[in-house]
Amino acid sequence: MHPATHPTSAPDGRTYRTPLLRRRLLRGLLAAVVALPLVGAAAACGGDDASDGKTKVSIFWWGGDARNELTVQALDLYTKKNPDVVFETTWQANQGYFDKLATLTAGGNPPDIFQIDDNYLTEYAARNATLDLKKYQDAGDLDTSKFPPSLLQYGEVDGKLAGLAAGENTQGLVYNKTLLDKNGLPEPTTGMSWEEHIAWAEQVSKKTGVPGTQDPSADYKAFWVWLRQQGKDLYSGSDLGFTAEDVTRWFELWKGARDAGATPTPDVIHEGNATDITKQLVVTGKSATSWVWVNQMPELKKNTADELGVIAYPGDPSAQWARASMYWSVFRGSKNADIAVDVINFLVNDPEAVKLLGTDRGLPSNLDLRRVVSDDTTDPAMKQSIEVETKLAETFGEAPQVPIKGHSKVRAELTKAAENAQYGRVTPAEAAAQFVAACKAAIAS
Amino acid sequence: MALTTAPDPTRRGTGSVRPPATRRGTGRIRHGEGLAGYVFLSPWLIGLMGITALPMLLSLYLSFTNYDILTPWSEVEWVGLANYERMFTADPSWWHSVRVTLRFALIAVPLKLAAALGVALLLNRAWRGVGLFRGLFYLPSLLGGSVALAIVWVNMFNRDGAFNSFLALFGIEGKPWVNDPDWALETLMVLAIWQFGAPMVIFLAGLKQVPTELYEAASVDGAGRFRQFVSVTLPMLSPVIFFNLVLETINGFQGFTAAFVLSNGTGGPIDSTLMYTLNLYIAGFTDLEMGYASAMAWVFLIAIALITAVFFSTGRFWVHYSDGEDR
Repeated sequence: MHPATHPTSAPDGRTYRTPLLRRRLLRGLLAAVVALPLVGAAAACGGDDASDGKTKVSIFWWGGDARNELTVQALDLYTKKNPDVVFETTWQANQGYFDKLATLTAGGNPPDIFQIDDNYLTEYAARNATLDLKKYQDAGDLDTSKFPPSLLQYGEVDGKLAGLAAGENTQGLVYNKTLLDKNGLPEPTTGMSWEEHIAWAEQVSKKTGVPGTQDPSADYKAFWVWLRQQGKDLYSGSDLGFTAEDVTRWFELWKGARDAGATPTPDVIHEGNATDITKQLVVTGKSATSWVWVNQMPELKKNTADELGVIAYPGDPSAQWARASMYWSVFRGSKNADIAVDVINFLVNDPEAVKLLGTDRGLPSNLDLRRVVSDDTTDPAMKQSIEVETKLAETFGEAPQVPIKGHSKVRAELTKAAENAQYGRVTPAEAAAQFVAACKAAIAS
Repeated sequence: MALTTAPDPTRRGTGSVRPPATRRGTGRIRHGEGLAGYVFLSPWLIGLMGITALPMLLSLYLSFTNYDILTPWSEVEWVGLANYERMFTADPSWWHSVRVTLRFALIAVPLKLAAALGVALLLNRAWRGVGLFRGLFYLPSLLGGSVALAIVWVNMFNRDGAFNSFLALFGIEGKPWVNDPDWALETLMVLAIWQFGAPMVIFLAGLKQVPTELYEAASVDGAGRFRQFVSVTLPMLSPVIFFNLVLETINGFQGFTAAFVLSNGTGGPIDSTLMYTLNLYIAGFTDLEMGYASAMAWVFLIAIALITAVFFSTGRFWVHYSDGEDR
């Protein structure tokens, strides 16, 4: 909007050459220049209330097309039941999501409701960006009675309920079933030890020419499961739950696997580390397995013609837990907090809404509805992930604490250290020492 | 245009169309026109103040705080020089990004300028269809720091990318260039060098300014091609070289897009593409340490200003302006 186009400044004749009119024109322009930003500011202050008296609730999530369709349908259903509430939805791919969320928050324009996961929950909760939902839970406005207790607890940070699990998932090792069948190789099974898994992968590499397993040494969730099997954890209170010796053993385990030819070359491993879910090595055909979350099965399936299988990560499966795949959180400064909480309550507890949403965000948190949804699902990949997770749920161990502040840096440092070892630039022990030192700095600041 | 960047105050007015600034107070009309000037400038001026100057000052303030984006302004704490201290004494990744950026600029900028000058010399002839070639060589820089281009680059220099297929024709086994920590940065350098069109066009314009009689005189004196280039072309072109050098150095330091896309915003593999601006972005938006990131930005600004100042102060020894006396 160029100030010169403002209508009030138009001269009222064609005699604009005279000095008087020119001065008037200038004054008009000046006024326009001063006034326009004010108009803009006034418009911006209009705020959340739509002109027709309806309340506009903004909601932001990451995901793909399918999730967008399902979520919009569920929100429409809410509007149908509560005609006074309309939604302003924004969604995008996972990459860059948290950058955007942070920017929106900094710009004083945060969404009322946002999707978040355990990698960031504490970062937000510790900085008081999330509303404590305990109050609503106590008042009965947020019904969590049908939630598995550990899943609910996995949304607590410093005694506050920072996020409500939008779904449940757990670690899943996905393998290319078609490739194995074609070569007469056995499928891996839950409960195989890590050594057995690597031996199996070595055999796959030899027989098929496709590297048997993606080296997950840079993957925090694989490292985490392995740590829990050693009686350790990723975090313990506000400190690390492991030592440099543990990391060394983890890195050495995978150095052995690489030396035996069970994994792809370092550059391909890096490709798998750096990419999003749609280009995981198991679907690009560069490895026979990928280390993912169980609820990502349908998304993986969309990107390959091969048949995929999914099991727990190697070792004792009780090291895995009912993880909140993602949460719904309400921004602490939201003007529509009460409505926002009601919307969340609707999204996790309303039978119709939950049915619509299916298992796109993981198994429904509400156990009663989970059963209903499981029975109704027809999508084969979804059915498969439900079956596997339901079976794993029988052996789930206790949930660990939610990752602490600084976790995003810890993840980045693990990738860096593991890749340093993978490319052979340092020994596993050196990489481990480097990683632990970097973590200590990351969580201290 | 490059000529007016000289730090010599005595020459300022001579080539310029602007009236000398010493004449002042010449009446109301002139005064009114000054106001009109500002009024017509105001859209840009407001933009400059609101979008550039104000946020810059704000970031200077933030660089002395622990601002983390999510915390409201009222709860931001003043931490003095702590951010700066941490940068220089306790952050190896900061030093690493400085080294990566310096290496990038020191290699890519001279090569890019050499390529631009070389191609400009080739295209500064009256061949048929030379205009088409000028256009074609300029094309890559039109694409600028685009994301699409970076994605193409990643695919071209992958293990099974087009470049390795090309190498295979000669029986050479390529590398996974973009995924190899020893080569990822070099791949980015090649991308930067390939976009030499903008300095090339400026070199071309500069070459056209060199008076032909100088070449004639030189050849009468028996100077060969090479001697003509060293003794006529280079000195006559030095203001343009200076201009390009300053601009491209600043550009080189600010490389971000390609590194971001190539590494998915991580600076990987193993921080090999962790350019300064990318590191700054990660600090601010991934690690949410916006106060620290602001401090990094200010150190960066001062460093670039210093480097530019060094260029300007050394320029007098090698930049030759033909319209004035030799110094």
